[in-house]
Parts: sequence; C-alpha cells; structure tokens
Amino acid sequence: MTAAIRTPARAVRIALLGNPNTGKSTLFNRLTGLRQHIANYPGITVEKKVGAMELGGRKIELVDLPGTYSLAAASPDERVVMDSLGGRAGNASPDLIVCVVDATNIKRNLLLVSEAAELDIPMVVVLNQWDAAKRNGLRIDTTLLADRLGVPVVTTVAKRGDGLDDLKKAIVHSLGEPRHIPRILWPEFVDEARDIVLNGLAQCGVEATGPEALRMIFDTDSAFADRAGHKDRLPGILKAAREKIREHGMNPASVEPVLHYRHLEALLDGVISGDGMVARTRDSVDALLLNRFWGTLIFFGVMYVVFQSLYAWAGPMMDLIAAGTAWVQSLISPLLEGTPMIQSLISDGIIAGVGGVLVFLPQILLLFFFIALLEDTGYLARAAFLMDKLFGWCGLNGKSFVPLLSGFACAIPGVMAARTLEDPKARITTILMTPFMSCSARLPVYVLLIGAFVEPTHGPIVAGWTLFLMHFVGAAVAMPLAWIFNRCVMKIKTQPFILEMPDYRVPTLRNVVIRMWERGREFVIRAGTVILAFSVIIWALLYFPRSEEVAGQARASFIAAHQSEPGLADALEDPESPLSKKLDHRIEGAYIEQSYLGRFGKFAQPVFDPAGFDWKITVGVLSSFPAREVIIATMGIIYNLGADVDEESDDLRKILANEKWRDGPRAGQPVYTLPVVFALMVFFALCMQCGATVAVIARELSWSWAVGSFVTMTALAWGAAVVVYQIGSRL
Amino acid sequence: MNKTLGEIHHDRALEIVAISSNCARAGRLAALGFLPGSRVRVSRIAPLGDPISIEMAGQEISVRRAEADLIEVKEVA
Repeated sequence: MTAAIRTPARAVRIALLGNPNTGKSTLFNRLTGLRQHIANYPGITVEKKVGAMELGGRKIELVDLPGTYSLAAASPDERVVMDSLGGRAGNASPDLIVCVVDATNIKRNLLLVSEAAELDIPMVVVLNQWDAAKRNGLRIDTTLLADRLGVPVVTTVAKRGDGLDDLKKAIVHSLGEPRHIPRILWPEFVDEARDIVLNGLAQCGVEATGPEALRMIFDTDSAFADRAGHKDRLPGILKAAREKIREHGMNPASVEPVLHYRHLEALLDGVISGDGMVARTRDSVDALLLNRFWGTLIFFGVMYVVFQSLYAWAGPMMDLIAAGTAWVQSLISPLLEGTPMIQSLISDGIIAGVGGVLVFLPQILLLFFFIALLEDTGYLARAAFLMDKLFGWCGLNGKSFVPLLSGFACAIPGVMAARTLEDPKARITTILMTPFMSCSARLPVYVLLIGAFVEPTHGPIVAGWTLFLMHFVGAAVAMPLAWIFNRCVMKIKTQPFILEMPDYRVPTLRNVVIRMWERGREFVIRAGTVILAFSVIIWALLYFPRSEEVAGQARASFIAAHQSEPGLADALEDPESPLSKKLDHRIEGAYIEQSYLGRFGKFAQPVFDPAGFDWKITVGVLSSFPAREVIIATMGIIYNLGADVDEESDDLRKILANEKWRDGPRAGQPVYTLPVVFALMVFFALCMQCGATVAVIARELSWSWAVGSFVTMTALAWGAAVVVYQIGSRL
Repeated sequence: MNKTLGEIHHDRALEIVAISSNCARAGRLAALGFLPGSRVRVSRIAPLGDPISIEMAGQEISVRRAEADLIEVKEVA
C-alpha cells in the first residue's frame, strides 16, 4: 500500500473525496491555485480535475473526484470515483485520500468515507465549513472524532483559507505515517454474500476485489456488474447473494446504508452535541425565494439578468473583438500584398478564425460568472427546484433551464453550462437540445428574410410576430424530440432527481474568477483549435481553385454590360470608384461560383430542390455550415454586392425580391416565394450550422455525439424545410 | 393508514416506516439518510406541484414525487 510513497521518482497522488456541496472544489482551488487542468476520464464524459502542489519538498498530484453521496454506481460515469480509488480503468490508486466532510452534516457525509474505508487507503478527514457548523450551534469534539476514526481530523473554512496549514501538516504527517479508518464490521451474512459473488466471479474467470463484489450486491443495476460481463451467469450469482441478505430480513437495496449508518451512529456517539437552529436563515430566505408567486417572479428576474448579459452586455465586448480582428487583418494584410493566396489564408482564414474563437469568450466568461455566483450562493439548486416540472417530462430536469436559456443567446456557453447537471442522461439530453434554441446568429437571417418578404406584403405587425414565433420553432421541435430520444435512443439508466438545498452562502471572488478562467481557457485551448481548423478548411473551399480565367471572364462580361457608361475606362482605373467596386464584387461573385464550395452547391442543388432552394441559396446554406451568420456575407458575394452587406441592407433585400429562376421548370418565376422564405428560415432554425457548437459538443461529450447531433439536426432541418415548402406551395 | 411520501401535500411531522422498493433509486435515497425511523417533513412544494422539498435531520433535499413514492411514511404527533 504505502511502499509506493517511498519511491521519490513519482509525484504523490492524493484524491479529494466528498459529497456535493461540501466546498471540496473550493478547497481544491485553494490548494492548487491555477496549477490545475481539466482532463476527461478515459471513456466517459466526466471531467477529471487534476492539480499540482508541493508539500514538504514532495511533488503532489491532487485529483478532485466528482462529488458523490456514495460509491454506488449505476452508470460508468458514477463508477469513476470507485475506479479512481481502486486504481481501475486506467486510473492509479491514490496514496492518500483527503475526505472533505461538511461539518454541518457529519453523519451523512461520513457514509461515503466509511464506504471508501473498505479500500484500505490512508485517509485524512477535513471538517469543512467549520464556521457554519459553529454558527448553527453544533459542538463537535474533533479530538474524540480523530480518536474514533483513527486518522487526523482537521477543521477548515475553505472559502476563507482557514485551516489550510493544519491540513497541509496533516497530509505531510499522514504520508510519513499512514493511518486508516477502521472498516465497518459486516455481519456474517454480508461476508457470506460477498463470498458467493467472489467465488461465482472466479468461476467465470473474472477478477474482482472484495469491495467491488460488495458494490455488485448492494447496487441494483450495478455498473460494476455491467463491466464484469457474463450476463448469462452473473445475475443468478447476484440473486443468490441478495437472497442471503433478504434471509436476514434486510432489503438488499438499502442494507448497506442501514448498516453503515448504524456503524456511524456508534462511532459518532458523544462526538456531536447542541444541534439547534440549523435551518432558520435558510428557511426564511426559502420562504421568499421558493414562494409560488414571489419565488417565480424573482426567478424570472434573475434569469432575465443572466440572459440580458449574454444577449446585450456581451455585445460591446464582442464588437471590440471583431474590431480588433479587423484591425489585425488590416495591419497584416498589406504586408502580404504580393502573395494573394497567403494574404487571404492568413487574413480570411487564420486571423478571422482566431477572431471567430475569441468572439465567444465574452459570453462564456459572463455566463460562468453568473453560474459561479448562482451555484456558490445556493440559488441554482432553488432555480432547478422551481423549474423542474417544466422539463422533467422529456428527460431534462430543472437544471437544464440555464443552459437552454443561454442557448437563446449562443449555444457555446449553453453547452458548456450543462456541466452543472450531475445526471449524465439529463446532461447529454440538455447538451443535444441546446443547439435547437434560437441563438442570436440566427437572428440576421430572420431579419433579412422577414424584412424583405413578410413586412412589405403583410405589414410590421405580422412581421414582428413572425420574428417572435421563429424563435420558438427550434424549442418546439426539440422538446418532443428529447422525449422520443429519452425513450428510444438513450441507453443510459435514469437517475432520480435528487437536489440538495444547500445553505445560502456568500460567494468568494477567488472562486468565481477561477471558474471563469478555467472555462475560458478550456474553451480556447480545446474547442478553439477545432474551430480554427474548421475556419481554415471552409476558407480553402471558398478560395480554391482561383484561376485568373474566372476573373478575366467576369471582367470582360462586366465591361461588355457597361459599354454605354461614359468614362468607363477612367472609372475602372480608379479602384475607389463605384464602378470599380461593382466590378470587384462581380469578380468575387464569379470566384465563389467557381470555388469548390460553389461547384458543390450547384452539384448539390437537386438535394435542396424539394425545399425550393436554387443553387445560390444552396451555396449560401452550405457555406454557412461553419457559422450560420456567414450566410449574409455569402449572399452579398453571390449577388455581387460584396461581403460588407448586413441584414438591414436594402440592396440585398431588393436583389432577393427580384431574383428569378434562370432555367428549369420554374424559369422566369421569382426564387424567393413565401414558401421558400419560410422553408429557408425553418432550415436555419433547426440546422446545426455552427462548427463551434460541433467542436464544443465533441469536447463536452464525444465526437460521436457531436457528429450524431450534427447529422440529425441537418436531416431534420432538410426534412422540415421540404415539408414547409411542399405544403406552403400547395396552399 | 400509511402513505407514501409522494402523496403528502401538507407540512406534517412524519416518520419513515419503510423503503418499499429494492430499485437503484431507493438505494440512493437510503444513502442520503432516508431510512426507516428517520423523522421527515415536506417543507415546501414547487410552484408546479412537483418536486417537493423534504427536511430531514437539518438538511433539505428535494425529490420528485415519483421518487418520494418509494418511501412509506406515517404521521407522528
């Protein structure tokens, strides 16, 4: 066990173990500061937070295990705590466990500790939130507790940094002189049940530890049993073991907590006294915040502020980043004048790509600022409580609200915010639903099309309502989809929605800043690189092959068409003249038509024909897959107006309104009829035209989820666009 | 006259009589301390009627009624 510590070559591994809401992560931040990074545990979607610190001249690797109430595991995601402690599944067993215990709720917190004691790893127990325990009038005899547990017991207030030195001393001391918490003495029938399983597994040729065998017995739907395989024999073995427990009048599903709590009851006898006014402040604040009327009102007020910050307050910062990107482009571009290809790659591909990554940062940082505040104060749990019923029916839960709401501003921070959901199934569903919410990048498309085609014929009121309702197309499709998805696709077992209402606490700036920094860095490093790659790839598809011939032909046809204009030659000499600009736009248009993406658009047009899209719309749609807002600029280029148009552009609206089919069965008819316009808007509402979202989902879940959701949304968008067009054009 | 915790609509002093299921969800509730003999009360109900918030030994835990139905309770004076 402890021999490994003496080999000085590797860092000492210490794991932080504890229930949710114990201040475990705050303690982790205190101990490691910014020397931490986030990885993923192999094969699952749980994040692994690892930090470095140095104690007594030793390098220490600190792992912040996911907060959990017990070692029971129904899903691979939950198995991670036990696997980390037991040195399974690519994890190395820790040399020491620091058990973080909420001092206001010692007995329940010690259940996990008592379970972990089975693994025979040295421990130190931290009674955190010591100030709250004292405030609540609890008197805890730590000397007696340390005596009973047989390991060092330290009191801390992690958010203020109190007791950290004691903790460090205790860690150093325990590394030199490891101490263990005495294991629970199982009654004979539990030992017998364990032996039944161990023997059974041995006959199947499966190797398992005693603690793992116990987990298989205690956890109905055990993820350890799932891993052991032998689906033909193992259920019979487990049934026999559970029967042994039932024979003694115990329910196998609750026998473990019952026995542990009995054990803890004896252990804690005389340790804690003076329990009293625990919940008084919490109660009176909850009376307001969870009130049917006031609570709901305050909830919407808080959410309004969060949403407003993403939707409006982030705007100036995002504009600043966009302006900065343009400034850098204007700075670098002239230096590369001689090599147009490199110039375009650096300027339109790389710099624009980096700008396209950084532009998400303000929203991510703002959202995580608010999430840290909401979580640390304890309000997030209340918000989830208030809203749970709205989401429960389709497999989401109350905590889905913040990610989904954020999705109306931008899916990127929304997807990342889904980390606040502990239940893996609800988290995955929430992540997959978030891109359906009508993000602000869809708005320009709606504004352009509604402004050009709905407002002139139907007036501003209908236009306003159309715009409003378009925002809910995605959500209206997503919720039933989530319901189907949860019943038919998701194979992960449902977890009960259990929400601990923590005491209200004052958040600390330090924690909030670390959270923001951690998420921002995560996004830029992990997702940013992928987004940048997308940006360069799509640049190349729109740029190549750039033959001089195309420009020559465009120029010749332009000059032929403008023969009659007086002073044509002079105007073309001056690059700033309106005619020159027009010619440039015409050449850009010709280039995009001849680019790989343009050719593909023409080639793929028949696919979009049932939705009424011509090749220009198809190219616009295809080019906006990396980022949907690009469609406006692409439309500008395709219709020879240049890339600088925006959704309010009258020129663009006029051109769209006058655009006619050149050939085919609809020759001479306008391209943009109302059915086409709505088909296009519905397509944008449902399609995941956002490389950044794909990259973030891949980062948060996996590439197969990311690709799956991309394909599903694209297919859904196409199908819905076809239905809208086909029905609309028959009305 | 025992009821399940999910059937409770008022704030009464209650005692858990049994965990009437051996499913995984029952195991989780037990780990949180929902065990026979524990004193509980339904301290709050969400605006839409579900979930409910349960106070037990100074801690407050909210669960959906569907889960609370796994817990059998009786009223105590």
